[in-house]
Amino acid sequence: MNDIVLWICALGPVLIAEGLLARYEVLAYSAGWRDPVTELPDGVPYARGAAPDSPPAAYLVYLDGIGKRRFRDTRDGGQLVKAVLAGAPELRVLGQVQPYSPLADPLADRPVWAWLRRHVGLLLFLHNVMQVFVAADHRYRPLYNRAVGSQIATQLRLAGYEPDSGVPVVLLSYSGGAQVATGAIDELHTQLRAPLVVITLGGFHNGANDLTHATHVYQLTSAGDRIERVGTWIFPQRWSLFRRSGWNRALRAGRITVHRLDPATHLGPRSYISPDTRLPDGRTYLDRTTDTVIGIVRAHHGTPTTTDRPLP
Amino acid sequence: MSTAVVLLLVFAGLSEAAGRIVPLVSRRPGMSRTFVAGLLVAAGLVEGAVLALWPLTAWTLAELLLSSPPPDSGLAWTPNLLVPLLLSAVLAFPLLGPLLHMVLFVGVGAGLAGSLATASGLGWWTAAGCVAVAGTGLGIAVEGVRRLVVRVSATRTPEVIV
Repeated sequence: MNDIVLWICALGPVLIAEGLLARYEVLAYSAGWRDPVTELPDGVPYARGAAPDSPPAAYLVYLDGIGKRRFRDTRDGGQLVKAVLAGAPELRVLGQVQPYSPLADPLADRPVWAWLRRHVGLLLFLHNVMQVFVAADHRYRPLYNRAVGSQIATQLRLAGYEPDSGVPVVLLSYSGGAQVATGAIDELHTQLRAPLVVITLGGFHNGANDLTHATHVYQLTSAGDRIERVGTWIFPQRWSLFRRSGWNRALRAGRITVHRLDPATHLGPRSYISPDTRLPDGRTYLDRTTDTVIGIVRAHHGTPTTTDRPLP
Repeated sequence: MSTAVVLLLVFAGLSEAAGRIVPLVSRRPGMSRTFVAGLLVAAGLVEGAVLALWPLTAWTLAELLLSSPPPDSGLAWTPNLLVPLLLSAVLAFPLLGPLLHMVLFVGVGAGLAGSLATASGLGWWTAAGCVAVAGTGLGIAVEGVRRLVVRVSATRTPEVIV
């Protein structure tokens, strides 16, 4: 009991401080106090996969979950990116976007956060969770969406994307990345006029963002995903009662397709991107998720699916 | 009013102003640091003054309900009552900010209501009603001023210096 009180006393002020400081970045972006980072460190390419000298079949931007803190792939998300690259070499894949930094400034590269990562690593996750809530707050959302939308558009251009080319852009988002992906749609439409496809994998988002400019939204989910379910409970715009929310309007318009990946969980050894746990057909959960993603992308760019397995 | 109370009022006003200005700055690109700091100080002083008026207004309302009101105002801020308002910047907290802010003010209002009930002899619920009406009235008035300032500053064009 005393331990619980101690935890509350220690964590409470930290949560309040983090909650109040979390908006500094969006504030600095808004006021123009700092320019967003556009250059990547040496050795990090602007895109991987299809060669940049001819237009690829599609561009896929991977928006990772709250573990994202550097330009390079995270351990878990990186597995999915690698599997997609291996299974669909016709795509150009971008994994460097910082969904939880309006200034595109990776946490791991900031001196204070680098120190915190070594001593209180949990705070980095907490910071990114708080950024998801900043992105979901109606007071900050428009600007956050514009900041991250601009970041994605900039990275796409640097990776060779030509506005008005008609090449599809797929936003593949995991967990909290879904809040950012759904929020970036308007800015990407404005800047690139690209056909936009959104794929949420265990998407944690508030459902308030307007999805009008998305060609289609695919919700990859599972009954075993408790974290995604929490999102559907805590955000009123996800409730069917709020008929005018962006998510519910898209649902009614038939522009959201659900793919069930039961019995996968959000995290852990049975997660959507687990390379170890197998389905009865012998595929790993990672294989199934990769097949689903590639199937969806190919349905939008017209390349025949090489696998003869049906989509789940 | 003691020096401690005055200082607490100033800091509580600054905290409240920070909680309100942070979202505003997020919606109004291009504000300089100097302008934001100036806005924060000016707004903080106004918010502090409004907070100072809360017990006074509640006491005035209580007097209207009393057949023989005491000659002096029996309700004033004390450091203990005022200290929680230093956290009013919690308004800017993502998503939960407005709810936490309301809980904070309800808590402080309950403390004021207790003091008012003791000083005036009114029942606690009546005193709470006076505090709530006073707080709501001041809140609406200051919100009107805020909106006016935002509208004026939004339409203001920079002067041309020749």
